[in-house]
Amino acid sequence: MEPLNLFPFFLSLKVAVAATGLAAVIGIPLAYYLSRSRGKIADFVDTLTTLPVILPPTVLGYYLLVLLGRQSPIGKFVEETFGTTLVFTPLGAVIAAFVVAVPFLIKSARAAFASIDPNLIRAAKVLGRSDWNIFLVVILPLSWRGVASGLMLVFARALGDFGATLMVAGNIPNETLTMPVAIYDALLAGNHRLANALVMIMTVVSVSLLYMMKRVEKRMIRGDGSHAARKD
Amino acid sequence: MLHVKIKKAFPHFMLDVAFTAEKGITGILGPSGCGKSLTLQCIAGLETPDEGLIVLNDRPFFDSRQRVNVKPKDRKIGYMFQNYALFPHLTVQQNIAFGLKGKPKAEIEQKVAEMIKKIGLQNYERHYPAELSGGQQQRVALARTLIVEPDVLLLDEPFSAVDHYMKQALEQQLISFIQEHFTGIVLFVTHNIEEADRLCDRIIMYHEGKVIQSGPKEDVFARPVNVTAARMIGYENLFPVDSIERRHEGMVAFINGIELLVKDVNVPPSPLFLSVHANHLLFVEDDRPNTFDYEIVQTRTRMNHFDVMIKTEHFMLQATVAKKDWDSLLASKKKLYLPPEHLFFLQG
Repeated sequence: MEPLNLFPFFLSLKVAVAATGLAAVIGIPLAYYLSRSRGKIADFVDTLTTLPVILPPTVLGYYLLVLLGRQSPIGKFVEETFGTTLVFTPLGAVIAAFVVAVPFLIKSARAAFASIDPNLIRAAKVLGRSDWNIFLVVILPLSWRGVASGLMLVFARALGDFGATLMVAGNIPNETLTMPVAIYDALLAGNHRLANALVMIMTVVSVSLLYMMKRVEKRMIRGDGSHAARKD
Repeated sequence: MLHVKIKKAFPHFMLDVAFTAEKGITGILGPSGCGKSLTLQCIAGLETPDEGLIVLNDRPFFDSRQRVNVKPKDRKIGYMFQNYALFPHLTVQQNIAFGLKGKPKAEIEQKVAEMIKKIGLQNYERHYPAELSGGQQQRVALARTLIVEPDVLLLDEPFSAVDHYMKQALEQQLISFIQEHFTGIVLFVTHNIEEADRLCDRIIMYHEGKVIQSGPKEDVFARPVNVTAARMIGYENLFPVDSIERRHEGMVAFINGIELLVKDVNVPPSPLFLSVHANHLLFVEDDRPNTFDYEIVQTRTRMNHFDVMIKTEHFMLQATVAKKDWDSLLASKKKLYLPPEHLFFLQG
């Protein structure tokens, strides 16, 4: 019996980690901005960041393909500067997973930020702290559960993306073939052993993530009591 | 001395106020939504006025003409928020030390320990705000504010989150603590007249984003300048005056065809009103000027007195009768007396 090719599993893991990192860097500041603003620009940004949840993944993938392809300004610029294309590479898979998953982080983190009493931020300002310091010392500690839960959701969603990834990164074996796509390919090729193994892995990872999120959210609902219960 | 003259416009509201506050406790009194808290936020630099001036002694915090707008962190203003705004994830100790960031560690530790002793919360250093009573939370909030040695202390409705029966004790605690440990300007926002009366030296009365009257509290409460101010501080007897006449014994005001003798000689511009506080009405047996036959239309029982609605041939008014005087009032035929020295003119 030939050994199982677990490349898709490790690629998916790497893609999901990278997409989660990218989501943290871009999504958290965006969520913070949206939690503070009520203007028309904020509404537009809000709509734009919610769109990936509504659009079919293939449509989303198509847009990304047009936006990042070799003929597009962005694609050309990256190819000329870094000597690599964005589409049909693992990088393309990361971007696809990021776009599909980041709305979940924004929604969850934004709700957490918005639930912070604005007087706490005012108090910190009057007591001499800078905006950046307030973010690190007051806002993040009070909303980290919402942010963490959002990040887990991003990871799970990035790990499991099929449609957009297939459109943008393709299914080149040992290069851009991620787990969900590999499952589909294995099934078509009649390789039930591989399909079953990958399905098992995906299920275990997803269920564990969901369980962890439940734990975090439960403590979040208990709220301030968790601070009181902490013994240092 | 704090000098404030600011304007800030919103779609359905306009704040346009000017006042000065000196050392001691100045109350900003007004109904909710009249711009009291907004004023505090402008002074602290948390909101930016559209135009105007905020100057503490000789230091300008905000000057729209000179384009001065000092950041909140550089204004050295103490601000105690309505719900105290203690950081729920930090201990009592960490909350109190919050404003001392950047100071040497030994100094912070010493100052915080001193402060915790002052507010009597030794043994609570490592507790979280959620584990404290309302009164203890208030003390921590005050300690956190005063530890940075501000020049101005802003108190936003400090007793709105407190149980009614705890209030009196907490008021005493807060005021004596402030008097003992703070010598600067205190601005105290409240919508409660009795609270303002008990705690403040001076009063600034707000109404719909404007200052309608300010001054020492005795003056403001004894002599509201217009009908709006009078209603806010509990004057219910307000009569439109038809005309006045100066005679040698005083002023005479004509109201609904009757004459009332008034000792007050300060007559504001029209529309002219006459007022007397419900507490100042008397019941007498002899026949003198300003007395009227009356009947009681309605009686409401209060803790120590009755609020009675009284009807004479020409007007209705509200009087307060102490419970101990009630029986003698009903026992004999008396007349209602409006003491000329307690009648005063005000603007409509």
